[in-house]
Amino acid sequence: MGKGILIAVVVAALSAVTYLKLVRPILEVPPVPKLGDTWWGAGDPTKEDTKIHPFKINVSDEILKDLQQRLANALPFQEPLENAKQHYGINTKHLKNIVNFWRTKYNWREREKFLNQYPQFTVSVQGLKIHYLHIKPKETKGLKVLPLLILHGWPGSIREFYEMIPFLTTPQKGRNVVFEVIVPSLPGYGFSDAAVRPGLGAVEMAVVFKNFMSRIGYEKYYTQGGDWGSIIVQHMATLFPEKIKGTHSNMCFVNTPLANVKEFIGSIYPPLVIEKENELAAYPLSNKFYYLMLEMGYMHLQATKPDTVGVALRDSPVGLAAYLLEKFSTWTNPEWKSLDDGGLTKKISLTNLLDNVMIYWVTRSITTSMRLYSESFNIAQMNLKVDRIPIEVPSGCARFTKELAFPLEWVLKDKYKNLIHLTDLEGGHFAAFEEPKLLAEDIYVFAEKVENPKKTD
Amino acid sequence: MFKRPPPLIAPNAPRGRSLFVSSLRVEPFPGYRIKSVFEPPPLPKLDNETWWGIGPPNDDWKTKLLIFPLNITVPSEILEYLKWRLDTHRPLTPPLEGMAHQYGMNTKLLQEVIDYWKTEYNWTERELFLNQYPQYKLNIQGLHIHVVHKNSFEDGYKVVPILLLHGWPGSVREFYELIPYLTKPQEGRKIIFEVIAPYLPGNPNNLVLRILSSGGQAGPGGGPDGRPLQEPHGQARLRQVLCARGDFGAVILHHMAVLYPESILGFHSNMCVVHTPRAFLLNLLGTVFPSLNVRPDHHDRLYPLSEYFQRMLRETGYLHLQATKPDTIGVAMNDSPIGIAAYFLEKFITGTNRTWQLREDGGLKEAFSYRDLIDNIMIHWVTQSATTAFRLYAETFNKAHHGLGIMRKALFVVVWSRPSHPVRVPTACARFKYDFYASDAALRELYPNLLQLTDHEGGHFAAFQLPELFANDLYDAVEKFEEYHKNNVKTE
Repeated sequence: MGKGILIAVVVAALSAVTYLKLVRPILEVPPVPKLGDTWWGAGDPTKEDTKIHPFKINVSDEILKDLQQRLANALPFQEPLENAKQHYGINTKHLKNIVNFWRTKYNWREREKFLNQYPQFTVSVQGLKIHYLHIKPKETKGLKVLPLLILHGWPGSIREFYEMIPFLTTPQKGRNVVFEVIVPSLPGYGFSDAAVRPGLGAVEMAVVFKNFMSRIGYEKYYTQGGDWGSIIVQHMATLFPEKIKGTHSNMCFVNTPLANVKEFIGSIYPPLVIEKENELAAYPLSNKFYYLMLEMGYMHLQATKPDTVGVALRDSPVGLAAYLLEKFSTWTNPEWKSLDDGGLTKKISLTNLLDNVMIYWVTRSITTSMRLYSESFNIAQMNLKVDRIPIEVPSGCARFTKELAFPLEWVLKDKYKNLIHLTDLEGGHFAAFEEPKLLAEDIYVFAEKVENPKKTD
Repeated sequence: MFKRPPPLIAPNAPRGRSLFVSSLRVEPFPGYRIKSVFEPPPLPKLDNETWWGIGPPNDDWKTKLLIFPLNITVPSEILEYLKWRLDTHRPLTPPLEGMAHQYGMNTKLLQEVIDYWKTEYNWTERELFLNQYPQYKLNIQGLHIHVVHKNSFEDGYKVVPILLLHGWPGSVREFYELIPYLTKPQEGRKIIFEVIAPYLPGNPNNLVLRILSSGGQAGPGGGPDGRPLQEPHGQARLRQVLCARGDFGAVILHHMAVLYPESILGFHSNMCVVHTPRAFLLNLLGTVFPSLNVRPDHHDRLYPLSEYFQRMLRETGYLHLQATKPDTIGVAMNDSPIGIAAYFLEKFITGTNRTWQLREDGGLKEAFSYRDLIDNIMIHWVTQSATTAFRLYAETFNKAHHGLGIMRKALFVVVWSRPSHPVRVPTACARFKYDFYASDAALRELYPNLLQLTDHEGGHFAAFQLPELFANDLYDAVEKFEEYHKNNVKTE
C-alpha cells in the first residue's frame, strides 16, 4: 500500500517536472514585443522628407555598357561533370545559352519601358527610401476597392507580380471586389535603400512596412506575400493586427517547437494529418530533411557571411545569373534538377527571368539583399519570439505542391487561429511569377470570404 | 574497356515507411545494433582502375606513366584580363555601421588588399618565385597532376620521402617557405626530406587557361582521391612515404593510411579531427565531467558545447554550399578576381585566429603578407579552378560517399563527415590553437599508434603561417617514426 503511494508520488513529481520543463515552454505564448521606430538610414532623423515622389526606372548608359563588356568578356565556364544535369548546381552548358541570349537578344531599354508601365513612387520611411508600385483600378463601378500590400522575397523582386497585377486591378467576372495594389521593394532590394546599421531583420521590416503604409495613407489593408514576403506579412499581422483586414500567403510558414513536434507525430501515420494526394509533399520526414539539407547551402552561407559571397556576385553578372537562376529552376520544380536545362523556361520566359536578375544587377543590391538572412537568423531576432505568437486576423493560405515545404493544416491552425481559407494548388515557390492568374483568383476568393463572412461554411 | 565510376547521385528514395515507423521496427538484438554504431564499417573495395579523365583513355594508360617537367608560365593575355578586371571592379558595398567581419569579409580591408594587388603585386617576380622548385606534370588515371618535387642529396643525411598535401582554399604555395627547412640540412638532425607536393586534382592543376581540366567525371572525392595519388609513388619507385598536412590534405592522407598502410611509413597531420559517435559521446560527457575528455587548459576550446556548435554553424556556410551546389557558386568565383579574393581571405582571417573577425583589419598582417596570400589566390585565378576545387566538397560529402562506408555521418551534422577508420601506421598530430580541435581521449580512438601529440599557438594554415615551427614538429615526428620502424623490423 505504502509502495503504491510512493510510486504515485514519484510519477506525479516526474510529470510535473516534465510539464514545467518541457511541455509548457513549448506551448507558452510570449507577449507581443513593443518595437520602436529605429532610424535605419544615413541622414538626419530630424530632417526627414516625408513627401511621396514619383519615380521612373532609368538606368544609365554607363551601367549598361559595363554590363555588356562583362558579359562579352566572361571567361569560359567550367564544363559540367558527365551527366551532372543540375545536381552540382546550375549546369554551365545551359548557362552559356542564357548568357548569349542576355548579351545579344535581351534589350534592357525595352524592358525598362515594360517595367515603367505601372506608376511608381518613392517615400522615406525611418530613413530608408522605399520604392514601390502603386496601381489603382481604373474601373470600379459596383465594386468594392480593397487596398492590397504585396511583398516579394529572395531572390525575387517586384517583377514577379507584373503579370498578376492586371488580374487584381481590373474587374474579374463574378467578383464584387477589386484591388488597389501596392508593391514595394524590400529595403536592401532593388530600388529601395538599404539599412546602414545592423538589425533590420524580418521583424523590423514589418515595422517599416506598417509605417510605410501609414505614410502613404492606408490604415487598414490586406497583405499578401511569398518567401520573405510571407514572413514579413505574418509578422505584421502579429504585431499590428488592427491594421490588417486579411492576410494571404503562398508560403504559410509556422516556426515553433510545437509545429516540429506535430510534424514528427504525424509521421507515425500520415493519413491522419494530411490528405493522401499531398502526403508525398510532406512525408517521409527523412526525405524532406535530406532535400532541405541539399537546398539550404545558400541560406546557411547568407545567414552567416553575406558580405563575403556578395563581393563576387556584385562583380560578376554571369555569377549573379547562375546564383539566382538556379533557384528559379529547382524551387519551381525539384524534379527539374534531372534536366539538362533545369526546366528553366518551362513556366517563366527567359526575358522575364532576366528582368529579375537585372533588377539585382543594375541596383547592385545582391549583398544588401542577402543581409536579410543574417539579420533575421540571429539570436537577437529569435529572442523576440514573434514566431510563437498566433495570428487572429483572417488568414488565407495557398499551399503550392512544389513549394519548398508543405505545412500541415493541423500545424497551420496553431499559428493562424483565424484560418478561413486553405487551398492546395499546383505550382512552385514563385507562385505569382509562374501562375499569376491562379494566385490572383485565390486572393479574390480569400478577400471575398473576408468581406462577406458566412455564418456557416 | 575502361570502367566509369559509379553514379554518385543517389536515386530517388523509394516510397517507404516514414522515419518514425522505421525506428519502431523491433530489433532482435538491440545490444548488437548499438555496438555496431561504434565500430567502423568494413573497408570498401576501391577500384584502382577508374578513369577520371575526359574522353576515352589511351590503351597503355595503366602501364605507362607520363612525366613532363614544367614551369609555371602564365600567358600575358590572362594577366592583362586580370588587370582590366581589377581596374574596373564595381565599388564595394560598405560594411554595416560598427561592424568588422561579423557579416563576412569587411570591404574596407578588401579594398586595401585590392589596391595592393593592383599596384604593388608583381606576377613576373612571383612566377620566378613559384618556379624555384622543380615541377612536373604526371598523368594518373586520366588526370594531369601537377607536382612540385624537391629532392635533396646531402652526405651523411638519410633522405626520407614525404608527401605533402594541401587543402582548401590552399595550394602548394603554402609549403614554399616550409620546403627549405625540409630539404636543407638542419642542425642536430640526421634526416633530410625529399618533398613531393602535388596539387590536388581539380585544385589548381592546369597552368594554361583553357587546357582541358582534370576530372571530367563525377568524382574524385576525399576517398578515392587517395588512389590516384598512390600511383606516382609506385611508379617512381618510392614505395614507402610519409605524409603531412591539414584540411582536405589530412582527410585524404588519412584515407591513404587506412587503405594502403603498407606504403605509408608515417602520417603527420596538423588537423587531426575525430567525428566518430564515440568521440561525440565523449564530448557530451565532457560537459559534465571535463576531465574525462579534455585537458584543463583546453577546456575552452570545446566548451561550452553550445558555443562550439554555434561557432561551427557560423563558419560552415561555405562548406554547406560547396558540398551541394559547387557549380553554381563556382561561376561567380571563376568570373570575379575580387570575389574569389574576398572568399579566400575571409578563411585566412577566421581560420588563423577567429578573434580577428572583430578587427577591421582582420589581423591578416600579423600572420601573412598580402603578397603571399595573393600568390595563393592567383594560382586559383589563373587556372580558373574555383569550381573544380569546390567539387571536392560535393564529392566528399554526398550520400554515395557515405554509402562507401569510408565516411560516417556524424550524429546531427549530416554534411560534416570525417574518416572513421583508425590509422594503424605511426601517427603524429600537431594541434594548433585556433584550428579544429580533437580531444586527447578522442584522438586515441582513431589514432591508436599516436607517437607524438604537440600543441602550438597558431591557426589552420599552420605550414604557411609558421614554417620553421612546423618543420621542427615534422622532424621530431619523423625521428620518432624512424625509431619505431627500427624497433619493429621483425614485423615488417
